Amino acid sequence: MIMPRGADQLLLPVNPLFLWFSLFLALVLNMLPVGRVAAMPDFLALVLVFWNVHQPRRVGIGAAFVFGLLMDVHQGAVLGQHAEAYTLLSFLAITMHRRLLWFGVAEQALQILPVFIVAHAVSLVVRLLSSGSFPGWTMLLAPVFEALLWPVISWLLLAPQRRAPDRDANRPL
Amino acid sequence: MPLGTLDRRPPPFFHQGPSALTRVALFSAVALFLMAADTRFAVTRPLRSGLQMLLLPLERALAVPLQMTHAGGEYVSGLHAAQAELGKAELALTAQSAKAARVDTLVAENTRLRALVDLKPALAVKAMAAEVLYEASDPFSRKIFIDRGASQGVVPGAPVIDESGVLGQVTRVYPLSSEVTLLIDKEAAIPVLNTRTHQRSAAFGADGSAMELRFMAGNADVKVGDVLQTSGVDGIYPPGLDVAKVVKVDPRADSSFARIALAPTASADGVRHVLVLEPMAMQLPARPAPEPEPAKDKKPAKGGKK
Repeated sequence: MIMPRGADQLLLPVNPLFLWFSLFLALVLNMLPVGRVAAMPDFLALVLVFWNVHQPRRVGIGAAFVFGLLMDVHQGAVLGQHAEAYTLLSFLAITMHRRLLWFGVAEQALQILPVFIVAHAVSLVVRLLSSGSFPGWTMLLAPVFEALLWPVISWLLLAPQRRAPDRDANRPL
Repeated sequence: MPLGTLDRRPPPFFHQGPSALTRVALFSAVALFLMAADTRFAVTRPLRSGLQMLLLPLERALAVPLQMTHAGGEYVSGLHAAQAELGKAELALTAQSAKAARVDTLVAENTRLRALVDLKPALAVKAMAAEVLYEASDPFSRKIFIDRGASQGVVPGAPVIDESGVLGQVTRVYPLSSEVTLLIDKEAAIPVLNTRTHQRSAAFGADGSAMELRFMAGNADVKVGDVLQTSGVDGIYPPGLDVAKVVKVDPRADSSFARIALAPTASADGVRHVLVLEPMAMQLPARPAPEPEPAKDKKPAKGGKK
């Protein structure tokens, strides 16, 4: 079996329940009423891209579209703004998923940054066309924060798959 | 190695479904259609209401920790703050009591006078208290969501105020919640009346929690400190509600219009309870139906083939 160079160990199969629960949790995180911060990283986009890269056969473009619709309704934005952004995000992530996993986590973050920038740019263009409001330059920081969170999310969401296949007293996890 | 260690199902060989490119084209097309439909037609309203109903329990649940932290903070900050508030409230009450005592007599007198000169009685505005569910985290717009919807009688276009002035207007109504666009949103506009000069104009939302008075001539009589109130000519906002104060007047030599910056009276940040008013148009008598146009002669068929 050819193992990607970036992967340090053979992973357990993913638990679909955990996968969808993490997506739901990201949606909840995005919906937390913390106020308006333009530089706020989009957790849902981050987790969606993560699963698109790691499990492209389970979480595809359709799921991204549906989650985008939910975000649109929650924020009262133009219906389809987030859906379009997440669709493109998911497509880019799926097209690069085979290449991405050959790199270490830091290099992955660097390569995933343009994907997040594209997603935010799509949102910005849609809003400029529909209402012409500009939220300020701090919104440029949002994709950077998302890319910086990539190593964290990789560690967190792959942890269940890194467990030992047969646990014993010496290796409880 | 135990069985569950590896995903042993063979990857599907033929049944892969449509390619990623096909899918992205399809979903982008759907998204573009939705955007167009949402801004131009009303066909997406049921979809939006359905999804909002789906999300509502989650939104209410998420508002709970926020309220708890707020309540906890109040509990800790404690007695002194409460007493200070009470003192302030009593001062305000004393200041208002004289006015309030006169209001009753004035109202009675006003009705009598209006009856004398045969004017219609002034409209009474119905109001409904509502609680703010959350503020939309969308950095592109200024919207809040309140916990009263169509089933409680909220209608689109209803003005929303708080204790200090006009806050905004209901723009979308869901069955159990509604969306309020604040006056400081880029797309919001409100007709106002300058209380000093009695000049009518229109205020618009601007960037950065501010508003501006547009289309005022460079030499218009507007001074810093002028109070703007709703004028009541729009059939939506009742007249006499505080809207904003003029904070800066820039006559601008290079343009025929002045740039006038306003500070809204009601602060949108940290508002918890609001009052939803009934649009004035609902109480006014219905417009007379337009007279049916005289039937025109049938146009000659265009471009008939010869």
